[in-house]
Amino acid sequence: RPHSCPRHPGARTMLPLLLLLLATAHGLNTIRYTPTLASSSLGGLITASTFTLEQPRCVFSEDPGNPVIWLVVAVPEAVPTFNDSVEPGSPERAFQRFPGSAPAYMTLNTTLLNYPCPKRPGDITVLRVGSETSCTKDGTRPTCNGPLPGPGPYRVKFISLNGSVPVEQTAWSEPITLRTAQPLSDIPAMGSGHSAGMITLTSILSILFAILLAGLVAMLVFWGSDTYGGSSTFSKPEAVTVRRYNTHHVYDQPAARL
Amino acid sequence: MAKSDDGIRILQGLLVFGNVVIGMCGIALTAECIFFVSDPHGLYPLLEATENDDIYAAAWIGIFVGFALFALSILGIVGVIKSNRTLLLVYIILMLITYAFEMASCITAATHRDFITPNLFLKQMLERYQKTETDNNNDIRMTERVTDTWDKLMLQNQCCGVRGPSDWQEYTSAFRSTHSDADFPWPRNCCVLDARGSPVNLDGCKLGVQGYYNSNGCYDAISGPMNTHAWGVAWFGFAILCWTFCVLLGTMFYWSRIEY
Repeated sequence: RPHSCPRHPGARTMLPLLLLLLATAHGLNTIRYTPTLASSSLGGLITASTFTLEQPRCVFSEDPGNPVIWLVVAVPEAVPTFNDSVEPGSPERAFQRFPGSAPAYMTLNTTLLNYPCPKRPGDITVLRVGSETSCTKDGTRPTCNGPLPGPGPYRVKFISLNGSVPVEQTAWSEPITLRTAQPLSDIPAMGSGHSAGMITLTSILSILFAILLAGLVAMLVFWGSDTYGGSSTFSKPEAVTVRRYNTHHVYDQPAARL
Repeated sequence: MAKSDDGIRILQGLLVFGNVVIGMCGIALTAECIFFVSDPHGLYPLLEATENDDIYAAAWIGIFVGFALFALSILGIVGVIKSNRTLLLVYIILMLITYAFEMASCITAATHRDFITPNLFLKQMLERYQKTETDNNNDIRMTERVTDTWDKLMLQNQCCGVRGPSDWQEYTSAFRSTHSDADFPWPRNCCVLDARGSPVNLDGCKLGVQGYYNSNGCYDAISGPMNTHAWGVAWFGFAILCWTFCVLLGTMFYWSRIEY
């Protein structure tokens, strides 16, 4: 009677185990550390062409071979197929060809001496990716830490190499997207409407001016039809004039005065 | 008769007092407006570049109105004491003309104060600061003055941009087209500079570490003096005009009571 061979119960876990064995056979140990951006209190944490990472302090273990720790910057599409054994500085990993013909580049190489553990409290331990502008177009410097060509997103990881053999690596970071500047024509230039103070001022002044003009008109009309003094007018203090009466001539009569 | 005489004397006294106050306020207005026109904070180039500098026009009018008020108040005092109808009529008409000018000055200052917003200066700064492609001589001169004003402003007030250094990151600008983002996330004057004018810590400034760069915006340093200027011209002028209104009404009444 035919019987199907029952599948080995551990078959599903075989494949990942094999892969892990393969990885450790190469000697590449993946550390449980994810590169993160530095503290958000930094004003220049992410700009249009640079970003700043926390240094990987107390992450890599001491190795007698004194490996060199590199930073890998890649576009997210290159992450699943990333080949750890490609040497840094090769055309496949040249900054100047990123992201066109080189989907990832390696830069910021240093030894563990520069990442002392434990970190001194109060120290700002950051790595600014994109700060070297002098070698952006220099083909002889493929490991240039040049400004990133676009807003990304990008994913990074740290990898330590003994010669050209990878020893340890961190996990890949979350995608990092850089800033995009808005065109300045987007800024609305016209201000807000009129404030209450200005409206009050204008209306009160206009009313007062109108009253004054009305008063002036009334004054001039009054002056035009000025025929009587009224009981409340007052006389100016005048000098006393002496009228001369010529008693001998009847014709010389003093003219009638008000 | 005696009572109405007393009443007239009181009115005369009040009018003389009112004119004295007008004279003194006229001198004060002139002094205040000269102070504003002299631009002690050096902010005029920014307003000039926005083509919105009518606040200065209002201050100029204020200078001449102040003189006129002083001169007319003397005429008014003489006219009231002599009870001369002609003098007082001339006084009232000239005062009304001065009143109209001062009204224009107050309303202009108040209206243009409303145009002063952060976006106005932000746009100017981004368009003109360190701009290199200039069209004509006028443009070159204006660009130079705006750049110098901003440099001085950022240095003296320890500030950067209008709202903050992020202004340089959020928007494109003439500065960004000539200075790479990696080397100059913001202008050098946003860094804390030492006595010789070079940044204390250039890397710290580029990173944006507190203490090595100016993280606050310059808008307060700009709008503070300008608001004082605008409100000083507008509301002091308003107060003078209210007082002048009362004095003029009293003078008109007094005039109508003088025996011809």
